[in-house]
Amino acid sequence: MADSGNAPKPSSSVKLVLLGEAAVGKSSLVLRFVNNDFQENKEPTIGAAFLTQKCNLPTRTIKFEIWDTAGQERFASLAPMYYRNAQAALVVYDLTKPTSLVKAKHWVAELQRQASPGIVIALVGNKLDLTNDEAGSGGDGESPGVDGEGDARKVTTDEAKTYADEEGLLFFETSAKTGYNVTEVFTAIANAIPETSLKTARGPGAAHAAARSEEQRVNLNGARDQNAKDGCAC
Amino acid sequence: MESLSDTLWDVVICGTGLQQSLLALALSRSDKKVLHIDPHDYYGGQDAALSLQEAESWVADVEAGKEPSFRSALITKPDGSTGLGFPRAYSLALSPQLIHARSALLEQLVSSRAYRQVEFLAVGSFFIFNPAQDPSQKPTLARIPSTREDVFLTTAIPTKAKRGLMKFLKFVLDYESSPQTDLWQPDAEAPLTEFLSRQFKMDTELQTYIITLSLSLDGKITTKDGLAVIRRHLSSMGMYGPGFAAIYPKWGGLSEIAQISCRAGAVGGAVYMLGTGIKAMKEGEDPIEVELTSGDVIKTRSLVRSGNDATGQIETARLVAVVGSPIKSLFEATAEGAPTPAVAVVAFPAGSLSTPGGKASEYPAYVSVHSSDTGECPNGQSVLYMTTLATSESQEILDQALDSFLGAVGDDQAPQCLYKLQYKRLEGSTQSPAHGSIFDFTIPSTSLSFNDSTLEPVRDAWKMVMGDAAVDAEYMQFTDREGAAEDDDL
Repeated sequence: MADSGNAPKPSSSVKLVLLGEAAVGKSSLVLRFVNNDFQENKEPTIGAAFLTQKCNLPTRTIKFEIWDTAGQERFASLAPMYYRNAQAALVVYDLTKPTSLVKAKHWVAELQRQASPGIVIALVGNKLDLTNDEAGSGGDGESPGVDGEGDARKVTTDEAKTYADEEGLLFFETSAKTGYNVTEVFTAIANAIPETSLKTARGPGAAHAAARSEEQRVNLNGARDQNAKDGCAC
Repeated sequence: MESLSDTLWDVVICGTGLQQSLLALALSRSDKKVLHIDPHDYYGGQDAALSLQEAESWVADVEAGKEPSFRSALITKPDGSTGLGFPRAYSLALSPQLIHARSALLEQLVSSRAYRQVEFLAVGSFFIFNPAQDPSQKPTLARIPSTREDVFLTTAIPTKAKRGLMKFLKFVLDYESSPQTDLWQPDAEAPLTEFLSRQFKMDTELQTYIITLSLSLDGKITTKDGLAVIRRHLSSMGMYGPGFAAIYPKWGGLSEIAQISCRAGAVGGAVYMLGTGIKAMKEGEDPIEVELTSGDVIKTRSLVRSGNDATGQIETARLVAVVGSPIKSLFEATAEGAPTPAVAVVAFPAGSLSTPGGKASEYPAYVSVHSSDTGECPNGQSVLYMTTLATSESQEILDQALDSFLGAVGDDQAPQCLYKLQYKRLEGSTQSPAHGSIFDFTIPSTSLSFNDSTLEPVRDAWKMVMGDAAVDAEYMQFTDREGAAEDDDL
């Protein structure tokens, strides 16, 4: 779905933030989506400020600016600037670890309080490859389960789905390792973003998230040294 | 993942104020092991931006003596006022400094590529408050013309006075080269007002214009310092677009820069812990052993702390007021193609206000008016940040300034004040704080426009941490990280 080089379609960028407990696989999901890559035993996140990936829909192109937590969630140290102004959020839990769903619910509540109204939130249960579900296994041909036999799932699909429905969230179970359902999450988010909240939307119809009107923003990229003279009329 | 105590840290930075955070940014590509902690559970320390809830607990902390650079904090909600939004809709900046386009801070934010995550807004016009001539009239605000074009077009200044002002604006842009230096150097330490009167025949009104542009807290800035800040103002004009000289980071000023700097630190591998301070430490050992309030005992080669040396060389009184009106008249773009400004500055010259007891104000008072575009309040409201030098009457003077301001901007009815936070802020001493492998930042300047001297100690601390690996020419010079450099034009 990335970069298929079609005729120009309306294109908009969308800030998407990742949230969730440390080690649930947030960065791995993004790496799978952006680079179609997976690293076993990946180090805790460092190094990526944000990644971008385009998502081509039939009528428009969404360019995701995906902000990684840079590990700041480890000691509850994410700054408000991280999730403020986001138009989409991926709240991830590890479906083999019930406490990570509790943490995910905390993040959903925080987003509902702090983030832009109309933010699209997707709840994602990751590490489906560690369960006996047929969908999550495969890929590299390894047998499912942590030690090769038992089902490590601790959060049922029903439980998470019921919560997601109550809160109006998109819901997916994924495996960053096999790639199962990863692209689907981002496509669903792209489809769920209301046209009116996109940056290209202007005028009074634009929703709050897009109200960061570009004509107010000062661009520091390229100071106008020559114009500076005209500006002070000397 | 390694535990905190298994790591030998190169530096532990305590505090996430602007300076400590810029240090984290400076170290973000160094491979140094950085542990960055803050006793507060928010970023920014004395430069934080607070929601109304956070402001409430902050006031309690100040009153309990836990905040060395602040005192006399109090929140009041005027009787009968309605319309205050929910507490998190506000972001009240403790450091609402405007940043001149020529500031080295912006240079560093650009060269370190950190600027991409900050949204900057234009600081628009500067106004002077004119008290009502008699009780039947309203006080007024006069916009200061601050470019030569502006001066040329204004009808508020008589033609004769214009010539002196034009001459001065031309002079100041090149005041450091000869023969201009002959004109001012003999008066370098004398008040700027005297110099303006003698050399440029400016009357009191024009002198006030110039002093206001200098944002001098006592109104008695010297000729030498005054010319430097006026030149900075004029040469900043137009640098990032037409019609404005200074910018302001959306969502709470320097707080935002602290947050993005810490994020850059985290992206570089630094570990962040909020709500954690230093409980005890064994000095004189290498490595230094530090016990954190979280109970962890860690070892580090160096330690950078926040000053608590509030000697009060300069103390300012502050009043932050939320007002139930957008005060649109202050936020008009004044040049073609200029962005809509989100900040306006109003000056109350010394003597233009008086206490209920009839005592005239000794120093100027300044109000930075922020529209809701700053993200600091909901739509339809504005936030006023008022500052004057602390005196025994300063709080009354600021209350008076608030009433007068609201009287001047209201049409039929003065806008309502919905919320007030008052406090006093102290500036620290300026001695060099490095000793061995421990570095203490002093409490930074309280000036209304960001002062580049704030940046020097950051570089010193960076040198201490980097040791022999410090290469001056590489300070804050980074390339974009993967993914960030792509063209964003859509």
